[in-house]
Amino acid sequence: MKENFFRSMTWLHTWVGLLVCWLLFLIFFAGTISFFKDEITYWFEPETHTVTHQDNRLAKQRQQINYAVEQLQNKAADSSSWRIYLPEPRNPLYTYSYAEPKQSGQRRAKFTETYLDPTTNEQIAPPRETKGGYFFYRLHFDLHYIDVRTARWLVCLASLFMLIALITGVVIHKRIFKDMFSFRKNKGSRSWLDAHNVSSVLALPFHIMITYTGLITLIFMVFPYPAQTVYEKGLQQMFNEASPIRARVESSDVPAPLVSMNTILDQVYTKSPDADIGFFFIRDANKESSRVSVYLNTGKEVVDNGAAFLFSGSTGELLAEQGKDWSASARFYDSMTALHAGRLASPLLRWLYFLCGIAGCAMIATGCIMWAKRLRERLKPQQQAGVGLKLVETLNLATLMGLPFATASFFIANRLLPLEMVARADKEILVFFLAWLAMTVLAIISSSKRQWQLAAWLNALVCFAVPLVNAMTTEGNWISYLLTQKWTLFCVDFGFIIAGSLFILQGKKLRTASKKVSTRRFQKPKDLKEQQG
Amino acid sequence: MMELLQFSLCFMAFNCFALAKFNHFREVFKKKLTDKQRHSFLATGWITILLSLVLSVLSEGGYGALLFCGYMALSVLMLMILYSFTVSWVKHISILNLSILLLSCFSVMIF
Repeated sequence: MKENFFRSMTWLHTWVGLLVCWLLFLIFFAGTISFFKDEITYWFEPETHTVTHQDNRLAKQRQQINYAVEQLQNKAADSSSWRIYLPEPRNPLYTYSYAEPKQSGQRRAKFTETYLDPTTNEQIAPPRETKGGYFFYRLHFDLHYIDVRTARWLVCLASLFMLIALITGVVIHKRIFKDMFSFRKNKGSRSWLDAHNVSSVLALPFHIMITYTGLITLIFMVFPYPAQTVYEKGLQQMFNEASPIRARVESSDVPAPLVSMNTILDQVYTKSPDADIGFFFIRDANKESSRVSVYLNTGKEVVDNGAAFLFSGSTGELLAEQGKDWSASARFYDSMTALHAGRLASPLLRWLYFLCGIAGCAMIATGCIMWAKRLRERLKPQQQAGVGLKLVETLNLATLMGLPFATASFFIANRLLPLEMVARADKEILVFFLAWLAMTVLAIISSSKRQWQLAAWLNALVCFAVPLVNAMTTEGNWISYLLTQKWTLFCVDFGFIIAGSLFILQGKKLRTASKKVSTRRFQKPKDLKEQQG
Repeated sequence: MMELLQFSLCFMAFNCFALAKFNHFREVFKKKLTDKQRHSFLATGWITILLSLVLSVLSEGGYGALLFCGYMALSVLMLMILYSFTVSWVKHISILNLSILLLSCFSVMIF
């Protein structure tokens, strides 16, 4: 019975993992990069690199809100929506924007943005059109080019399979504590198994947490039935009741002057004396139906939707407060989302999240490679590899080496594509997928060790090209970032240098491995002859 | 400094767990691990890991628990590299770990 149980668990682990491993690698890879979403977007907009972090950030928030509202009154008094984004530790920019009137057939209004230096309040040139880190964030659960709902269902199924693979993995790993620190190098598929085990075990709490909370973030799409049963109008009504701050009111045409922002801010600071305001939105300014929403940053609290307040813009009256009357389950759901997104993380925790994410990528990658390697080792000398094995090997090379290649190409495209290009942000994304396609073609031609080596050299080349192209096309480079202590930009450039070095190591390792194989093949007949002689 | 203390404790705990294994102990000290030593390593490991968890949660609540998970991952990764590739460094790194632990402990107590 025991042996059967272990066997069935091993079978489940292998097939559940193998079926979705490439999609999971994409999800993990994009998710891991998304932990640095804001930092990557900052790197992608070199026009804003002159802006430095302001001193006394919190003390200046009241003055910044008043200044932005004053500017918006002059520029777009009739606009249906104003948005003010205050500088944050991860993003030094101070931005305000207003909605342009909707054109016929347009679903969402286009916003005109103004970027300011928070220290001087001087307007700076708008950055180039790019998606930056936001592309990876959406890729993580929307997969691009696929209908959003279908993509999210696919991601959910992959996460469910991942959760099953994690649980069965723990069950079948009999020596989980005994082999915790063991890695046996140069032992063929044994080494791959060790690498798979170590990368899984070292961040096991993270892997379980991120997969479970990932499923929870999309739970209302997968399992909407309780909400549909309880609420007459289904999910929308539930969400409206849970966050009344987001409830929409009918726009009225009756003009009413916008109340002084100080009246609203005084109430916010009375309720929350250390308030760190993140966004400040005003709808229908100068009308009777005007609403002002104030969103506070969460700091280190494990909550995704921090405190937020909704005021009437014409009277200054507090209409709703977010999170005040939440039930235990609403709080639980919110904290699960917070754990998954990691928006709460300080630089130390963000790097630890990133490290665990990389461990997750390594766990999936080693799992895929190990399956193919074991099957190939079992082949008899004259036996040809089957279609399944060839398919897995091709997909392995295309995905595991293709995604880093596409990512580095995406970064290079940001610097090299002409600034005046139409739909520039989409063209950057196109470069990402074209680069991935190129690596897939390379994998289809052959997925031999030599091809892996070529892919490693190509990856090293593009990784080293990122800081080089950045130095040639912008005013900074990784040494100047180090000297001026622009750590965000330095870390991105230096990250690519480290990745490039790792790919060189991989290329060298593959070269020695293929040399060993070819020498062995060459020596074998001679040895046989000697034995026969 | 508090974070450094929490991480040092976590690293020390996993180092003790590694040394409580016969193969790793033999590789580091070139002699056989006795039962008494094994129990001491395990006890020290459990005390320090719990101390690290308690300190993390006491100082930062839920956020501290997240940090603790990260410390565990980083410690196991560092120790795996250490024991698999540069086992001769284990003694030096253990002394460095202990020194950092004491220094961070003193600075947390003083400031």
